[in-house]
Amino acid sequence: MEIIYSQDQGITTFSVAGRLDALTVQELEKKVEQWLSQGESALVIDFEKLEYISSAGLRVLLATAKKMKARNGKMCLAKLQSNVKEVFDISGFSSIIPIFDTLGAARDAAK
Amino acid sequence: MLIKKMPARMENLPELISFINICAKEKGFDAGSLSRIQLAAEEALVNVIMHAYAGSEGEVEICCLRSDPLSLTFEIRDNGPFFDPLTLPQPDLKAGVADRRVGGMGVFLVRKMTDQVLYRRENDVNVLILTFFNR
Repeated sequence: MEIIYSQDQGITTFSVAGRLDALTVQELEKKVEQWLSQGESALVIDFEKLEYISSAGLRVLLATAKKMKARNGKMCLAKLQSNVKEVFDISGFSSIIPIFDTLGAARDAAK
Repeated sequence: MLIKKMPARMENLPELISFINICAKEKGFDAGSLSRIQLAAEEALVNVIMHAYAGSEGEVEICCLRSDPLSLTFEIRDNGPFFDPLTLPQPDLKAGVADRRVGGMGVFLVRKMTDQVLYRRENDVNVLILTFFNR
């Protein structure tokens, strides 16, 4: 898994590539925890290059969404591949974390 | 019947999943189905790795059964205490962010990704049987 971190106009974007599974999830968890500790409140996660997600990945996303909600922050996801989107739909996550087709739309919503 | 047996450790997860993937590819499943099979396999195997032996060492065994050409059936076996994962309650899919419980998704995804999933206790062995149809 590869994570690229960028920040622009108060919005942080994590671009996550590869596989988000039981073996790799800690890497993302650590990076997000670090970011959360800075007190930021606008987060976009770009999944364009994410090929696979399992419940381990869902767990860290839900935990992050809860923390963002608790601080009145915004968290949006962008560009999910169809098999990843399927997992979000089945698990009901599509209705609790906003998902957008473009990075621009996700960034606008996270403002 | 093809069998793979390894210590139930996280570091062995990729090799275990890849074994199942090879069995599935031989059956001619398409990329979307392979992805679903992989997900069900990961969730079921992670449950064994994390919970079956409560911190002590143990093994996990995968048996890819000979079945008709249009389906894939494999068993995941462990020697842990009796545990039927199919008795776990379904997560509340309608709960909002604040109320949604973190975790509890693994077995749910196994159910959703498989065409059929069964559990049986065979002597001292937990056996989870997953079946996928090739459509």
